[in-house]
Amino acid sequence: MRVVAFDTATARTTVALRDLETEDNVCLAAVVDLALADDPPPGARPGHAQRLLVMIHELFEQAGAGWDAVDRIAVGVGPGTFTGLRIGIATAEALGYATSTPLLGISTLRSLALGAHEREPDSAKLAVIDARRGEAFVAGWGSGSDPLAAGPELSARVLRPDQLVRVAATSGTRVLAVGDGALKFRDELERGGASVPAPNSPLHLVAAREHCRLAAFGAADPTRRVEPEYLRPSDAELAQP
Amino acid sequence: MARAGDTVGDTLSTYSGHILAIETSCDDTCVAVVTADGEILSNVISSQGVHDRFGGVVPEIASRQHLTLLPKVLDEALRLAAITLDDVGLVAATRGPGLVAALLVGFSAGKAMAAARELPFAAVDHLHGHLAASFLRPSEFNPPFLALIASGGHTLLADVRDHGPELRLLGQTLDDAAGEAFDKGARLLGLGYPGGAAMERLAADGDPEAFAFPTAERMSGLDFSFAGLKTALLYKVRELGEEEALRRRADLAAAYQRAIVESLLLRVKRALRATGATRLAVGGGVAANGPLREALGSLGVELDIPPRALCTDNAAMIASAARFTPALCFPQYLSLDVYATGEPRT
Ligand SMILES: [Zn+2]
Repeated sequence: MRVVAFDTATARTTVALRDLETEDNVCLAAVVDLALADDPPPGARPGHAQRLLVMIHELFEQAGAGWDAVDRIAVGVGPGTFTGLRIGIATAEALGYATSTPLLGISTLRSLALGAHEREPDSAKLAVIDARRGEAFVAGWGSGSDPLAAGPELSARVLRPDQLVRVAATSGTRVLAVGDGALKFRDELERGGASVPAPNSPLHLVAAREHCRLAAFGAADPTRRVEPEYLRPSDAELAQP
Repeated sequence: MARAGDTVGDTLSTYSGHILAIETSCDDTCVAVVTADGEILSNVISSQGVHDRFGGVVPEIASRQHLTLLPKVLDEALRLAAITLDDVGLVAATRGPGLVAALLVGFSAGKAMAAARELPFAAVDHLHGHLAASFLRPSEFNPPFLALIASGGHTLLADVRDHGPELRLLGQTLDDAAGEAFDKGARLLGLGYPGGAAMERLAADGDPEAFAFPTAERMSGLDFSFAGLKTALLYKVRELGEEEALRRRADLAAAYQRAIVESLLLRVKRALRATGATRLAVGGGVAANGPLREALGSLGVELDIPPRALCTDNAAMIASAARFTPALCFPQYLSLDVYATGEPRT
């Protein structure tokens, strides 16, 4: 099965095109895997709108393939920056619609946890994405629990730093925390007993190639619509009495 | 400069087939199908209505709604036009100005749809769209003309000498838009949002001469200003006291509405004099206002006010502007980004 995946939930635009052998649950080599990130100044927006379709185009050029060879589109539904999620999902829905390709929404946290599971299957995994305003988006998998096979035991939520300490402390004896949020809240996570890989570890990066695996083996059925995982109401709704 | 029938430049793309256009610059989710010669096959507008309780457009809520509504609105537009994507030769989407997060939904979808089919793409300026509403069939109103666009998002005068896309702005609002002035005034008088229609209904029972509200008359030139008017109403309501203000609500509404209309009219007259134009096109949601239409009708110029569905934000006007916007070939448009209100057109 050939899957095109992308994610725009974080500052990183990541796209991948992958051939996966579903019957034997075997992953063939990634056909193409590209990522670009930026660090926009406060108030500026990341460059997903400028990069995403260019990178998808590049993917096809490198693979020498076209849309007719694609069986599924997988898009990261977050949680992450609201605008980033919408760029990804609006793009995915339009591509799916225009090419009649089935579409799947992939939890960005689950994809992160999948990368961590590869490295340390026996650890509990916490996927942590920076939610701004001093909070983090978090989902957790227990020791030995494979994110490819199962959803999170600690479902996706927004946590304050003090809550992160508690979650890290109660997640297991060996806890691996990954993601840009894990780097941001390293102190809290380590205080709770979790280990956070070094800042340059690829485990912290959202990678669309993991989305491809989840789209090929994950339980969800393809649809035309996918919903972003905002996890937070809009400010105006929060301000309502 | 492109002319009618000369829709694409040499170095750019040519296309055959219909134009599919998307507009999501504010709170209306819009998709339209228009033929290459400007006939509307469908023009679907989904007004979100969720902003009423917030008294204005909330960008994050608008953007979430756009993402939810866009696929349904797209389906509906294709269904009503009785076409499929195979019949589309050009995809267009509003690039700006507007709310960035809202624009990005429609613009991302439009680019992706074009890219998936390797179709040409036109990135349309929203204000060019408002002017181009007049170019649509069957009541084509072609340049040259003077244009007044007045809505909740913008208030401007433009010297329209050709079909665009360049804008020759003569004046614009320095603070609130005319529609915004209606909304804010309506709020002060305890009316709902959006306030234009409610205020007009209330004003029908009032005396426009009852109060003298400012029209920024002494401000020379062709720019507009409505902030002083809003403040004047606020002070008048305070001065009258709650009970009296409520009793004289219709008079307040009538006088306030008159001030907005006079303020618009004054600058239209100045612009007609300055440009020597004898033809006037009006667009934007405020064009639906009865007293404004009446006042403009008595100017003695050839007047074009498109139907209401083409005056408020809609995608047919974006398709119309797309006919005169250089269309980029695949894959040249893939890296285009939107621009916000106040950001330069890059
Ligand atoms: Zn508008």
